[in-house]
Amino acid sequence: MGVGLTEYLTVAAVVFAIGFVGVLVRKNTLVIYMCLELMLVASTIAFVAFSRFNGTMEGNVFVFFILTVAAAEVAVGLAIIVALFRRRQTVQVEELNALKN
Amino acid sequence: MPTELLQQAAADNHWAAIGPELMVGCLALLLLVLEIVLPKARHEIIPSVAVVGLLGIITGFVINYHTAFVGQTTFNGLLRHSGTGQFLRLFFLLAATGVSVLGIVALKRQKMPKVEFFAITLVVSGAMMLLAQANNFVMLFVALETVTVGFYILVSYTRTNPLSLEAGLKYLIMGALSSGILLFGIALLYGVAGNPALTAASADSMNFDALRVFLYANPDNIIAAVGIVLVLSGVAFKVGAVPFQIWIPDVYQGAPTPVTAFLAIASKAAGFAILLTLVTVFDGYQSLVVGVLTVMAIATILFGNLAALTQHNVKRLIGLSGVSHAGYLLVGVIAAIHVPFAVGAICFYLFAYLLGSLAVFGVMTHVSGDDDADQDMDHYADLAKTHPFLGVVLAVGLGSLAGIPPLAGFMGKLLVFLAAFEAGLYALLGVAILGVVISIYYYFGWIKAAFFPQWRPPVFEGDDPLPEPPRQVVSTPAGILLATAALASVLLGFYQGPLGAWLGLG
Repeated sequence: MGVGLTEYLTVAAVVFAIGFVGVLVRKNTLVIYMCLELMLVASTIAFVAFSRFNGTMEGNVFVFFILTVAAAEVAVGLAIIVALFRRRQTVQVEELNALKN
Repeated sequence: MPTELLQQAAADNHWAAIGPELMVGCLALLLLVLEIVLPKARHEIIPSVAVVGLLGIITGFVINYHTAFVGQTTFNGLLRHSGTGQFLRLFFLLAATGVSVLGIVALKRQKMPKVEFFAITLVVSGAMMLLAQANNFVMLFVALETVTVGFYILVSYTRTNPLSLEAGLKYLIMGALSSGILLFGIALLYGVAGNPALTAASADSMNFDALRVFLYANPDNIIAAVGIVLVLSGVAFKVGAVPFQIWIPDVYQGAPTPVTAFLAIASKAAGFAILLTLVTVFDGYQSLVVGVLTVMAIATILFGNLAALTQHNVKRLIGLSGVSHAGYLLVGVIAAIHVPFAVGAICFYLFAYLLGSLAVFGVMTHVSGDDDADQDMDHYADLAKTHPFLGVVLAVGLGSLAGIPPLAGFMGKLLVFLAAFEAGLYALLGVAILGVVISIYYYFGWIKAAFFPQWRPPVFEGDDPLPEPPRQVVSTPAGILLATAALASVLLGFYQGPLGAWLGLG
């Protein structure tokens, strides 16, 4: 027996859940950022699996757009994190709380 | 691939249909080129080029407002041109113009590269214009991400200010999280609607029309329901609806004031443009969509208004009051499912919100000091005495946002509430009216701070009084913008019928 759509989707859902919970509970900005990437990767797995089993190419094409968007997001995001680290000497979220009423 | 197929595909690419977007993009590139070719001493004309260029594009767009493309799809179903889409394109162009003028005022005080601000603003507004016409999830996702990534940069634009960077980081995490959720929802919808084993499955399941047909045919699919909830949650982040509003106060406070204005006006309108499209696509799951949106709308209106009551920082206050505006608009979106004229009401509300917000943010830009995040209500003391013009504009803008008759904001609220009444949403209507009553308290607190003398602690000799940021002198373009926004807020309150009819809003 081969690996079916259900298995792929289970992996995608588990990876998505790991990423989502990671964003909520982790304290280090860089780790949070990695978790965000995990969520995008989970969607990528789901897209490719659906594309393969439905016999349509759009899912594969969409993955290219996701990769491009993720690259742009990382480029901007890491720049912000580095600039913030230079000013504040920390990337822990609980210490980044200067904005308040 | 056979060439006929490519030719057939390319035949539907009507580039003239996205002429305004192309021109906005070219203008953004032109600004970057000008920065390279012009000598440094002449760089101050570049922002003016952006504003003049935008005004030119708006003029051209208004002349060609009723194009033959309305009602058609182009680019193989990627875009659908509609009356609402045309209005929103004009809306985003106007917002970009206003924000650029405010940007000129605000950036004068910062030692920051200036040209990129205007270039990114233009790219973002071009992407929003495409977003308002998206008819396919690929288009929607790419346009939305262009907007979001552009906003990451704009929010953290003042990179010497740690508060701006902190706001940028918070927006980055929240924005990327919402994109991830939205994307997973799209993946599920794409997969389930393309499944050949189900009825009405489509080979082109990213297309909204095909998806709509599929959802009608399969009203009880659990994966599709999960996908719909995920997509709606992702969009709710963008409009700042409860429970996805946590980023709003911090990001609004830390971002440079013109960017806060852009976020409040255009980003919110873009979110509602998507919602209005998606509500029709998800028509087959009406009870689920209405349920989710109703809970969100009630929570959003109550939270936004109650949280704004205690704010002293005006940027946080305007952010939280923006949350409550998103709540009223959500009521309109729910009404739009049953009552067609609610779409026009939402458009009018957004337009009134644009004018009122531009007036208020314009005054904020002039009153704020070098530190953009520190804008306290006390800084507005005696504003009406020292700067009567700014005081009057502030009062008109805030009055319009609060919905005081006869200003435009009142008409916007009235139209949305009428639509809700006609759709029979009495409970929502009650919550919304309660919210409006609460909101009058904090809006008038702000007006009071500007118009009436306040008690201040006596200053003893040797004590330094708390420093207040120096107020800016109002330049001519900024003055024209503020006067236009305030005057239009007053005029639109009395006179809206023919304009609405011309815009195709009914």
